[in-house]
Amino acid sequence: MDPIRFGEMLWLARMPILKGLGMTVSISALAIILGTLLGIFVGLSLTYGARPLRWLVRGYTDFIRGTPVLVLVLASYYVLSTVGLDLTAFQAGVLALTVFCSSHVGEILRGALQSIPKGQIEAAKAIGLTFRETFAYILGPQALRQALPAWVNTAAEMVKASTLLSIIGVSELLLRTQELISRTFMSLEFYFFAGLLYFTINYAIEHLGRYVERKTAVPS
Amino acid sequence: MGYTLNFDAVWRSFDLLLAGLALGLALAFAAILLGCVIGLVTAFALLAKSRMARMPAGLYVTIIRNTPILVLILFTYFALPELGIRLGKIESFILTLAIYSGAYLAEVFRGGLLAIPPGLREAGLAIGLTEMQIRTSIIVPLMIRNVLPSLGSTIISLFKDTSLAAAIAVPELTFEARKINVETFRVIETWIVASLMYVATCTALAAIMRKVEQRLTVPR
Amino acid sequence: MKIRMKLVAAAFAAGSLLSAASAQAQESKLDEVLARGHLIVGTGSTNPPWHFKSMSDELQGFDVDMGHIVAEALFGDPDKVEYVIQSSDARIPNLTTGKVDLTCQFMTVTGERAQQVAFTIPYYREGVGLMMKAGGNYADYDALKAAGSDVTISVLQNVYAEEMVHKALPEATVDQYDSVDLMYQALESGRSDAAATDQSSLAWYMAQNPGRYVDAGYGWNPQSYSCAVARGDMDWLHFVDTALHEAMTGVAFDTYAASFKKWFGRDLPPPQIGFPVEYK
Repeated sequence: MDPIRFGEMLWLARMPILKGLGMTVSISALAIILGTLLGIFVGLSLTYGARPLRWLVRGYTDFIRGTPVLVLVLASYYVLSTVGLDLTAFQAGVLALTVFCSSHVGEILRGALQSIPKGQIEAAKAIGLTFRETFAYILGPQALRQALPAWVNTAAEMVKASTLLSIIGVSELLLRTQELISRTFMSLEFYFFAGLLYFTINYAIEHLGRYVERKTAVPS
Repeated sequence: MGYTLNFDAVWRSFDLLLAGLALGLALAFAAILLGCVIGLVTAFALLAKSRMARMPAGLYVTIIRNTPILVLILFTYFALPELGIRLGKIESFILTLAIYSGAYLAEVFRGGLLAIPPGLREAGLAIGLTEMQIRTSIIVPLMIRNVLPSLGSTIISLFKDTSLAAAIAVPELTFEARKINVETFRVIETWIVASLMYVATCTALAAIMRKVEQRLTVPR
Repeated sequence: MKIRMKLVAAAFAAGSLLSAASAQAQESKLDEVLARGHLIVGTGSTNPPWHFKSMSDELQGFDVDMGHIVAEALFGDPDKVEYVIQSSDARIPNLTTGKVDLTCQFMTVTGERAQQVAFTIPYYREGVGLMMKAGGNYADYDALKAAGSDVTISVLQNVYAEEMVHKALPEATVDQYDSVDLMYQALESGRSDAAATDQSSLAWYMAQNPGRYVDAGYGWNPQSYSCAVARGDMDWLHFVDTALHEAMTGVAFDTYAASFKKWFGRDLPPPQIGFPVEYK
């Protein structure tokens, strides 16, 4: 441990670290946005889909949730290019995280929708609302309120999972850190520093989640 | 280059995959046992009256929950030895996973403890039990029953996290799959078989946990 | 019933993807690369002196220089090359699936691999050495060998890693790691008693950390390092061969020798003039 030498190395390495941080943020952001779009479809299919669709989507989520994210990442990188779908490591990694995120978001949305008492749907029917209207004015807003805090927390999950892309050669924060260690051999210092950066990001997200939870809480 | 599926190479190495799966299960099992102890102690600390107990417990849970597990694994294995803490590959991985799961289990247990009516403790005191006896023979067993569903999902996600041991060359399922992948270039087949093995194991674990839940549920 | 229809449709979709993949690739990669205007080379980023990042975040090393040499031959400009960072186990898949034109990533030539990809001529002949911490438990190779199974050797993950170490130290315990830095960390932290890897890497590492490590004084296991291309394109393979060959013996020798000096610390004697060295 030599703090002065580490400080010097850290200063010299500021650009690679910042680039890695930028990459980590873009991977996570892309995975969350795409994963949420896909996840809304998954959640709606699981709750309101016709039986064959529901089974298909159920199979999809169960498969994704039963597979480690690392296996999803490795498989999406190697398998897809074997069948002729040529993705870069970045694209394959984002795809794997998107799929992972969609199964999370799907389950959160399903949970939120199913927690709304059935009576409300019947009441809506009774006053002559179509299903579309019922969803837009009654179910949707309540589900959103319920799902929002958990959804914010999936953001932290995505940031953590983005580290796995280092294994297929995406230059995000962890691979950048390993590249620095391969040159400086300061594993303790640089791993600690990387851990601190990840902690800071996720801690901020966690607090955002709590803030959202307070804001969306139904006053009782 | 038309691709024909050919599972021969994967079947030839199937023993390796099975051994990897068994090792993964063993790692998860060892980690969950240790993690339960850590989690239980932490949960009691989180609910303690003394700030001196709550502070470090809260800090531990916050730090671990916001740091990517891959960073923790690499840190324990490669950086801690610089501080004189040397552990074997498998021990180091189990310890990391136990500390990691301990933070999540602490939250699970804390929720379970909060759900136990305070009257039980008072009743225990009334029949002359000590605080320790009340905890070990009344509160903890009841709490475990309460949290079985979340305990089950923690065990399953912990088992999936054992895939990360591949990063430090512990020969579990993902490591073996990557090895077969490199040696035989049967990319699709290898990842299909490996992920199905994960999914099947997770499904089996979920089924076992459901059975245990049914057995132990407090009849109402 | 509906599900079955969907499955059939999915199978057709997958099938057409496969046949699309087989329809292309009649034209040589050489034309494709020339038309594209830059070369795509697969390599790693964490193994000095072969492929690693400089202080200014540039990918550099001997493998990286081989990419520059081929780019120079293609375009007269060594910088018309894009590097794709890949882990060691992605070397063969990324070639066979066309993600990269060429892989130069300290790849050992073996018969088994040569069935999956086409190797170029070797650009380096490597041997394995053993490096230990200075002032450690064992003095030299003989002491390591005498200690039998008490000795743990860290080594880069490889199909042949265990067998390779056991050739020199028949009873030693072998620990495999994903990258060279992890392997050195194992040695530094005392997890292993010696690191077994390419002598070039060891020499480079010892030069970076003077006085901290010693060579055990034993070398074995000759192996050829070659770049590799996808199978079935003789034109492209021949082009890369020519570029590398002329870098080691002809017009581009100065570039090759400068790179060799930079990463391995040794001056190369210029190729003999007159009768070609290949036939001596």
